[in-house]
Amino acid sequence: MAFEGFPPLIADQLHYLLNHSPDSIKIESVWSGNKLNPRILDRFTLVIPYCLDTIKWDVIYNSEYAVTPPDFIFGPDDEDFMPCSTVVPEDGQISSLDKALSEWNNEDSTRLLVLIQGLRDQYVVYQRRRVGQIDDDRVKFEISTVLTRKGIEMQMTSGVDKPEEVKFAVPLVMDMDINKMVVGCPWKHQQKIHLQVVYPILRKYETAPSAPRLRLVSSSDLKALFSVEDVKLSSWMDGMCLAEYLPHLEETLERQILEAVSAIDLRRSFIEALAAFLGRPLEADPTFCRKATFLAASGAFTFVVNFFFSTQFPKQQPTLMLQSCQHLNQLSVPVKSNLLTEYPWSPRWEVGRMAERLCDFLTDEAVNFKKYCNEALLQY
Amino acid sequence: MDDLFLERIEISGPTLASLLQRVSSSPGDVDGLIFGQIHRIVPSNLSDDSPAESSSSSDQLIATVTSFICSGKTVSFYDPLGRVNPRRIDYLRVDSPDHLIGWFSARRKTSNRPSMRELAVSSSLSSQFHLPIEDSENPKSTNMASSVFFLLTTPLADQLIHTHEYRSFQFRSSNQRLEPRSVGIVNIGPAFRGHYGSFSPKSGFPPLVCELRRSAMSVDYDEGSLSAKKQAGKDQKEIDALADGLHVGDLRRLVGAEAANYTGGIEEMYEKMLAKVESLASDVERSSAMIYAQDKRNRKLRYRAARIER
Repeated sequence: MAFEGFPPLIADQLHYLLNHSPDSIKIESVWSGNKLNPRILDRFTLVIPYCLDTIKWDVIYNSEYAVTPPDFIFGPDDEDFMPCSTVVPEDGQISSLDKALSEWNNEDSTRLLVLIQGLRDQYVVYQRRRVGQIDDDRVKFEISTVLTRKGIEMQMTSGVDKPEEVKFAVPLVMDMDINKMVVGCPWKHQQKIHLQVVYPILRKYETAPSAPRLRLVSSSDLKALFSVEDVKLSSWMDGMCLAEYLPHLEETLERQILEAVSAIDLRRSFIEALAAFLGRPLEADPTFCRKATFLAASGAFTFVVNFFFSTQFPKQQPTLMLQSCQHLNQLSVPVKSNLLTEYPWSPRWEVGRMAERLCDFLTDEAVNFKKYCNEALLQY
Repeated sequence: MDDLFLERIEISGPTLASLLQRVSSSPGDVDGLIFGQIHRIVPSNLSDDSPAESSSSSDQLIATVTSFICSGKTVSFYDPLGRVNPRRIDYLRVDSPDHLIGWFSARRKTSNRPSMRELAVSSSLSSQFHLPIEDSENPKSTNMASSVFFLLTTPLADQLIHTHEYRSFQFRSSNQRLEPRSVGIVNIGPAFRGHYGSFSPKSGFPPLVCELRRSAMSVDYDEGSLSAKKQAGKDQKEIDALADGLHVGDLRRLVGAEAANYTGGIEEMYEKMLAKVESLASDVERSSAMIYAQDKRNRKLRYRAARIER
């Protein structure tokens, strides 16, 4: 992202915000409100993750008076959102947001982050209040029973042609620090798993509330370790509530995450076992062991074997792809085989036996692949 | 205080034009105060039906913007949290005799929704400032909060034809919201005659008491008493503000026995008023040039402080 157009002090604040925010905040567009120097940028739109969705806030600086703190324009649905308290609260406690605004210092590059976090915290409270005001018995009950759980975000969605809905984003397995469980963890942000619950609001003529829509959502980096799509959500019984549903789901998730973490070691030991037959790998993914590449030979024919592991290994066998070192097509690209998944495999074998059987298969397959490569070259 | 509902907000064409001009000539975002009056009017939608409705409930309140003062920057009379500082308002309005009716904010290339700070400022302003409601039928007037807010923006997309957008709002204390209100632009012309129904002319001239005074105090023009001299001096000051070189005594020619020369007197007065306007205009031009030069220097310093290099 180019910050050259911003005055240096604003650019510093933006850099700090984008690099240090716990949520992955993005900048959508930048522009200038200056008449005399339209190249000096002083306005931008932030895209901030909220409740498994995003909210967009316009941040308005005044490049003519760069010492004043920025102003914010919130979304069109958030007219009532009034985060600044114009009166000093009764307990005399000044919120961090008010403090950041009233003691603004444009030389301090951390202030914009403090502001955005303060505003986001207020926004969570604001949305919760809005949801609490809805005249719906089920939603009221759910709020009262899950209130003790930390970090729940709520959102009201309503549109002209859309039915009213209340969205909950419930953070799950908060006690597990997934980042710490992975050795050599490359993730910058804390990995989280949320359950999204969408309650349709009961219309006047309906009598029984319909079941909420449920969906598991994880941060995208987590896919290298564990895919939430593989988790089967148990069905929502009639008259069930969230407080009943969550403990069982969390138990399942915890077990599956632990399995996924131990699956890394399984994949690693399998790769190590392969090395006994194929020699040291050319390349291997050291953290999650999802990929490994070996050099193999059949007589004078040398080729590269790529292994791709799914998170379901060893239940699912690795996918193979062979690549010749001697056959190049017209574009000087090595000839490659199709993805191979059909070969003898049993998840109950020990890793040594898995590697041995696989290498047996490779010995046979090398002959087929050589023939395939020669044919491929003849076609040109 | 009741949270009274404003039916609409009116502004005269020239006032709006001068507001737009002031805003669009400034290099960055600006804010300022707006002054005016609040009138209670009885709408003339009388019909034969439903006489049960009492007249007071159908009264409408209308805000009229008569003038404004632009601060030339943002965060001028409030702090970054939006808390209004009455001392800074007094400093900004100087000694404007008009009632403070609200404020305005102008920002280029932004969406025309009130911002976080604008909402806070409107809330703070209307909790601290009030103005009387002008009501000819019921002079025992009540007060109303200074709750008007004008938002002036320019469109975000460059390819649009229009260059300015404005919206007016009223801050309602009951729901802590800025509610949009329609803006009525009042111009001169037959179509707008109704708007001048509540117009009461105000003259900057001292009262023409010459005739009264003569009848009460014989034919003696030369009044030696101290209070009369003081009064004459005060009157002269008021006239000096309006016309160049017109004496209090000259006003006598407009009433009483000398009113035969009425036309000549009026013409002389207009000429002297025009002379005053011209001398004011040249003063303004000179001082504007100085302000412009000073403004340029200030901006250079501000840019240096913000480390903006050009």
